[in-house]
Amino acid sequence: MKGRRAPLALQSRLLLLILSLLLLIWGGAALMTWRNARSELYELLDGHLAQTAAMLAVQADSDDDAVTDAPSLRKYAPQVAFQVFIGGKLVTRSADAAWTPMGALREGFSTVRLDDGMEWRVFAARDAKRDALALVAERAVSRRDILLAVMGSMVLPFLVSLPLFALAVWWSVRRGLAPLHALCDDISARAPDCADPVAQTELPRELLPLARTLNSLLERIAHMLATERRFTADAAHEMRTPLAGIRAQAQVALQAGPDAAQREHALELALMGCDRLTRLVQQLLTLARLDAVAGVAGQRLDLGALARTVAADLANSALERGQTLEVRAEPHCLCNADEILAGVLVRNLLDNALRYSPRGAHVLVTVTAGKEAGAGSVLRVQDTGPGMDEAAIAQLGNRFFRVLGSDETGSGLGWSIVHRLLEVFAARVQVGPSAELGGLCVTVQWPVAP
Amino acid sequence: MRILLAEDDSTLGDGLRAGLRQLGFQVDWVRDGIAAEHELASGIYAAGVLDLGLPHKDGVQVLTALRACKVPTPILVLTARDAVSDRVLGLDSGADDYVVKPVDLVELAARLRSLVRRSMGQINDAIDCEALTLEPAGRRVYLRGEAVALSMREFDLLHTLMRNVGRVLTREQLEHQMYSWGHEVESNAIEVHIHHLRRKLGSELIKTVRGVGYTIQRQAVET
Repeated sequence: MKGRRAPLALQSRLLLLILSLLLLIWGGAALMTWRNARSELYELLDGHLAQTAAMLAVQADSDDDAVTDAPSLRKYAPQVAFQVFIGGKLVTRSADAAWTPMGALREGFSTVRLDDGMEWRVFAARDAKRDALALVAERAVSRRDILLAVMGSMVLPFLVSLPLFALAVWWSVRRGLAPLHALCDDISARAPDCADPVAQTELPRELLPLARTLNSLLERIAHMLATERRFTADAAHEMRTPLAGIRAQAQVALQAGPDAAQREHALELALMGCDRLTRLVQQLLTLARLDAVAGVAGQRLDLGALARTVAADLANSALERGQTLEVRAEPHCLCNADEILAGVLVRNLLDNALRYSPRGAHVLVTVTAGKEAGAGSVLRVQDTGPGMDEAAIAQLGNRFFRVLGSDETGSGLGWSIVHRLLEVFAARVQVGPSAELGGLCVTVQWPVAP
Repeated sequence: MRILLAEDDSTLGDGLRAGLRQLGFQVDWVRDGIAAEHELASGIYAAGVLDLGLPHKDGVQVLTALRACKVPTPILVLTARDAVSDRVLGLDSGADDYVVKPVDLVELAARLRSLVRRSMGQINDAIDCEALTLEPAGRRVYLRGEAVALSMREFDLLHTLMRNVGRVLTREQLEHQMYSWGHEVESNAIEVHIHHLRRKLGSELIKTVRGVGYTIQRQAVET
């Protein structure tokens, strides 16, 4: 399950982060302890060395010419050694000390490597009155052993507790992330088309924004799905009726027998039905394509030229119905739009005006430059048709809406296309009665062309 | 049989009207829900074909209103809405049949005949009245097994009377069943058709009830 991978990764990430930070902090602490213990230990042991050397220097006896060998120090013998010189002559030494001075013959500490290959810490004390010099030495390695023993007693418990601690962290992180797991389970267990909102009551505060965003997304998706479903249903309905009409007319023509007039009438109506269906399919395709264009790059267009081109295309069908089509365009009215899409927009407006106006009607297209500063060009389509009431105007753009009672064969998609295009062009539209011609007036206000 | 067709699409409405007429129905065509309800409520139609997506008043509302007023006319819903929920809603609202567009005209006619038959309490399509048999689907009439040639109007008149065996029908009622809108009905048309029927089927079959109308009685055909 893909949905479960992400929280697990989060969990191991947290675990890794906590444990490595812990190791780092503890390592730092151990280092500091090491340094402190070391300096304390050296201070203490050096103090002992100095004290011993001072005592030896004071008690040095030079009466006897012979060198006195001190009694063996048993098990400490290899660890410590001393020599006492009076007037530069060795008078006393520990059992295995060398005959030659172990260190520099001046007062103070030094660390030397002796003939046995070991490092020794040496302190020399001088008694000036008797010209006595006492050297006390201690093996350096014995100090390190003490230090390691101290550190060991500190590290060991930590190393033992580390796995236990890791386990505890792992458990805590898991508990802490439980709401996230629950949310994931809730979402992955859903049916693909389930758009119910995610329950927010049991979520921790940090997850609430996520849940809210998710819910608003789900809501939008549900709305989109519903729109799509309704559209599909409407489209099927819109195609079935003309299909049924064509079928019925074809069957009437087949059954007409000797009645030639009836057969002809039926075939004519069947053809009209085909044309209507073709137009519907075309409009549906246009709409489907428009739904896919988000931001088509525009170009500078002369609206007047565009209006004339579209009007020329439609002039024939207008003439057939005895309608007059007039274009009045001011020069250099520019807009920023894709030429084909803008053509579709103007064509739909003009087509509507011609289609829903009676025979002999007049349709006027005017293109004017923006009157005020910051206003773009204005395209206006007016007709002498019956116009529309407020309620019908409000419904324009609902897919498959057609004005009641009109016997026209519109697809009910023209205004959906117009609205979609206006969105693409960021243009605004106004629909109302035409003061000039008495019919409908559609005004498109374009944004200023750059 | 006189049928009311309620369909707002002009191509389909025209086609259905023409097709059903070819198949022997008298068809009146309305284009909106309010007119459909008004016409169907008059009770003169043998059956109704109702589109659901009608302007002014939705088909389902028309159905509900008609059934609320106890209008018994069988109604066939002809619609593009094919979802099961739509079918259920249509049938539960009082439709007697539910057909999704597009439909074959012959099938539509058969369904309408079936609806009318059921509404009359008949079991078979053919109406038997002892020695007389009438087949609405083939528009044929047999008297003692012998086919009788009848004109369209004669057949319609006989069909109407035989559907209502035992009932006296007035001239107006007969005219309503036989003529759709736009037909000029001569004042003596019914009398003329009755006369022709009596000549072809025997004078005893159709009784005249003076001052009221005409009827076929069951025992009349017995002998």
